[in-house]
Amino acid sequence: MKKIEAVVKPFKLDEVKNALTKIGIQGMTVTEVKGFGRQRGHTEVYRGAEYKIDFLPKVKIELITTDEMLTQAIETIERVAKTGKIGDGKIFISPVEEVIRIRTGERGRDAI
Amino acid sequence: MRFELGITRNGLIDTRNLMAQAVSSHSSPREFLRQHSDMVDGLVRKAFQKAQSQVSAPSVCLIAVGGYGRAELAPYSDVDLLLLYASSKKEELPPLIEKILYPLWDLGLEVSCSSRSINECLKMAQSDLQIKTGLIDGRYLDGEYEFFRKLYSLLTKKILHRRIQKFAEGLAKDLYLRSQKYEDPAYVLEPNIKEGEGGLRDFQIGRWIIRAKYKTDRWDSILFPDHSRMLDKSLQFLWAVRNQLHLLSGRRQDNLTFELQEKIAPILGFSTGTKGIEEMMRQYHLSTQRISNFVYDILERALHEPSWVKKALFFFQRKKIDKDFGIGYGELHLLDPVTFKRDPSQLMTLFKHCQSYGTNMDFRTEEAVMEALPFIDDRFRHSEKVNQTFLSILRKGERVETLLRKMHELGFLSQYIPEFSEIAGKIHYDLYHVHPVDIHSILAVEELGKLSSGLYLKDYPMLTSLVREIEKPEILFLTTLLHDIGKGRDGDHSAVGEEMIRHIGERMGLSVEDREFIGFLVSHHLFMIQTAFRRDLHDEQVILRFANEVKNLKKLKMLYLLTFADIKAVGPEAWTSWKDTLLMELFLKASHFFEKGAVTGPFLKGDAMVQRLHESLSPEIISEYAEHLPDRYLSCYSPAEISHHIEMARSIEKEPLLVEWEIQKEIQAKVTICTKDRYGLFSKIAGSMFLNRLNILEAQIHTWGNSVALDIFWVEDATQGLKSRLVQFKNDLMEILSGKVSLKDLLSKNKGSQGIKQKVIPRVSGEVKINNHDSDFFTIIEVTGEDRLGILYELTQALTDHGCDIHFARVSTLGNRIVDTFYVQDTWGEKIEGKQNVDHLKQILLNRLTSGEDPPFSGMKTTSSDENIRETPSSS
Repeated sequence: MKKIEAVVKPFKLDEVKNALTKIGIQGMTVTEVKGFGRQRGHTEVYRGAEYKIDFLPKVKIELITTDEMLTQAIETIERVAKTGKIGDGKIFISPVEEVIRIRTGERGRDAI
Repeated sequence: MRFELGITRNGLIDTRNLMAQAVSSHSSPREFLRQHSDMVDGLVRKAFQKAQSQVSAPSVCLIAVGGYGRAELAPYSDVDLLLLYASSKKEELPPLIEKILYPLWDLGLEVSCSSRSINECLKMAQSDLQIKTGLIDGRYLDGEYEFFRKLYSLLTKKILHRRIQKFAEGLAKDLYLRSQKYEDPAYVLEPNIKEGEGGLRDFQIGRWIIRAKYKTDRWDSILFPDHSRMLDKSLQFLWAVRNQLHLLSGRRQDNLTFELQEKIAPILGFSTGTKGIEEMMRQYHLSTQRISNFVYDILERALHEPSWVKKALFFFQRKKIDKDFGIGYGELHLLDPVTFKRDPSQLMTLFKHCQSYGTNMDFRTEEAVMEALPFIDDRFRHSEKVNQTFLSILRKGERVETLLRKMHELGFLSQYIPEFSEIAGKIHYDLYHVHPVDIHSILAVEELGKLSSGLYLKDYPMLTSLVREIEKPEILFLTTLLHDIGKGRDGDHSAVGEEMIRHIGERMGLSVEDREFIGFLVSHHLFMIQTAFRRDLHDEQVILRFANEVKNLKKLKMLYLLTFADIKAVGPEAWTSWKDTLLMELFLKASHFFEKGAVTGPFLKGDAMVQRLHESLSPEIISEYAEHLPDRYLSCYSPAEISHHIEMARSIEKEPLLVEWEIQKEIQAKVTICTKDRYGLFSKIAGSMFLNRLNILEAQIHTWGNSVALDIFWVEDATQGLKSRLVQFKNDLMEILSGKVSLKDLLSKNKGSQGIKQKVIPRVSGEVKINNHDSDFFTIIEVTGEDRLGILYELTQALTDHGCDIHFARVSTLGNRIVDTFYVQDTWGEKIEGKQNVDHLKQILLNRLTSGEDPPFSGMKTTSSDENIRETPSSS
């Protein structure tokens, strides 16, 4: 099992969510986050004064998949979240030791 | 809790798999869907009854909706339920629903349940298309039957058969939106069996409209028996594939990915290997094309049924064209239904009329065409009248692609040109060829149509004026339609196709000269591609050889247009501005040859060029460099460029590496590199470019007599970061050349992580051809193989290690297939000759192509060096 954390542009959230549901991902956690990467924020001018905007709003999607589903899930996020411009976001993948569904006590892939 | 329904999650999976084997989910998919749905019915009822006994709730009715309602439940499809209640006691429902759903969820079933009153249902069905269509397929499961009866009698009376046109419009919109989404080549190669073009959802749309409009559950009752039988077969095939998709993936998987194509083909009884996959996908495309035609046909009928007002209004505008056809409501129709039976040749006249009057035929006429297909026999195919009419349609050129598509859709084209049916739905199991061959052929005609209508005037002005100069456009259109006709049979498709098209031409009554001409075009339809993309166009000999083979300007023009249409119709990414440039260069050089009788470039050669250099350089400098400049180098560049290069060469005394670039069209750059020649320079440059994700398109490598290396690269980077990548490339190359870092280390850091399984894509087998005929001075090596990171670096490294000097390289990537051409000499400036030597080199390159795989040489094909170089890049 793997955890995918994808940080994407907020307006892409719905599309990514729909595409992932389509391929059979059954659940995910979404958080509104702020951050910056290579985009390094940008400068806004307000009433003549420059304001540095350091952190840009993004959404972070977290989901757990089986190893078999991983490739397809990553590919889906990549395809859908891509605009080709800077700031499209990143995808992080890490191994997951165990998943437990609290209501039933199921473990492992049954609990995903 | 998990055993509540008498079965466990794994138990359910086992039962389902056993059932799939017992009823053979692929030979009788419909039966399997029904049995599976029965089984789930049992579980749902059990859950429902148990819940009712545990919770006190008002009386309700449980209804299956959607695909489950039709009892067409694929192994992991959604189980959609509707709980119908009497309007008052809504708040008492949630505990009941919970009790029903939890045990079903715990079994791994994808159950969703909505609860509504009868009135809510009717209201929502009126406003929401999805709810309406879901309800159409409703099926009583359990509970208060009276509720079910009431809902459906109201639904039928008040909603279902009313406002059909609006219903059809809604569905047409859904169809359009999905087709937009699934148009992407990725979805054509790995189609979505449910939502994709001609998929199960499309079929459903047709079925709903028939249900609403013709008030019948039997969709097949309104079609010809032959037609409905074929359609049913297509549907069953899609079901069979979908069942396997679900069973193999253990979840609701509707994308027919490459990985699953490979697994499913043998299960469905297709032969093993690539051939079986291609056969299966052919059947897939034929099935979806049929379903697609069906749904568009049905939609057309529902959308364009004229209202009685319109009928009355247009009554006086109906007019007769001739004794057999008339025009009414803007559509062409048949006056007498038996016309085609009496005189089949009128079928072709019908299409001619469609072109002349700029209209479509109405659906009844389309039906009559389909019904008349059996009358198309050899006499029809040899009939002068028919053939002349067909050619005149092509000659006129207007809406040719639309008419051909319609002919194909109605099955007419394959009857008239039976050879065309052999390529229908035929696919290549690779990433480059997006469309099946028949669709590709019609798209190619469409590209020509776009050219001649002036749509490409801005982008391709020269091609536009060429297509307008063509004397016999019908020959060009016919050849384009049939250029891949040989792909339905075994062997080299250009050669096979030539035979076939000559035969077809004879049947159509073309003159000997025309037959000769189309035969030539078909047999040479890859010739221009192979020359332009794989040979050094600065080489006079290449142009001469090409021109001698093509023979005259007329053929050249046709060939250029055909080549354009062919590549453009492969897919949106196949045609690039780079290919455009190369083809145009070859065309211009060859046409110069035909007009002037010699290859005349803008550039001078040898001494004449050296003379011209005096204009910009001092005599001392010229005398220092002139003797070192090779002829090949001098013939490639203008005096201004050469002077600039010499200035660069002079300054490498101070600065060991000079890199200059010109960015063109934002994504391409011409990079000039000047440095002292050293061992393995090319592969070091290639490696550094690879590190910085610069794709090499072409390389000209010149080594001057005074060991100055002057290399010109054309590179590409599509991510808009070209400039910063070039800067980084220069830094990397500097460090590597100065020995500060090793390229190997940098490359190994770049390896992707091993933990993630790579996506399965079609494999490409490796092939190496070594050719000593085409150039007097160089051995030409063509390498075809699977693309992977850093492949060019590895190949050039292998060539260097083998003592080959690379002088010219051209690199193309077609999907995940690379075709790289290298012009090489050995260390003494000679060709690589001798069988042993050649075979050894071939083995080394093949080894590199597959390195990292075991066993090293399996599945490889080597072609002997003296084999004819013409080949089919797509047949391996």
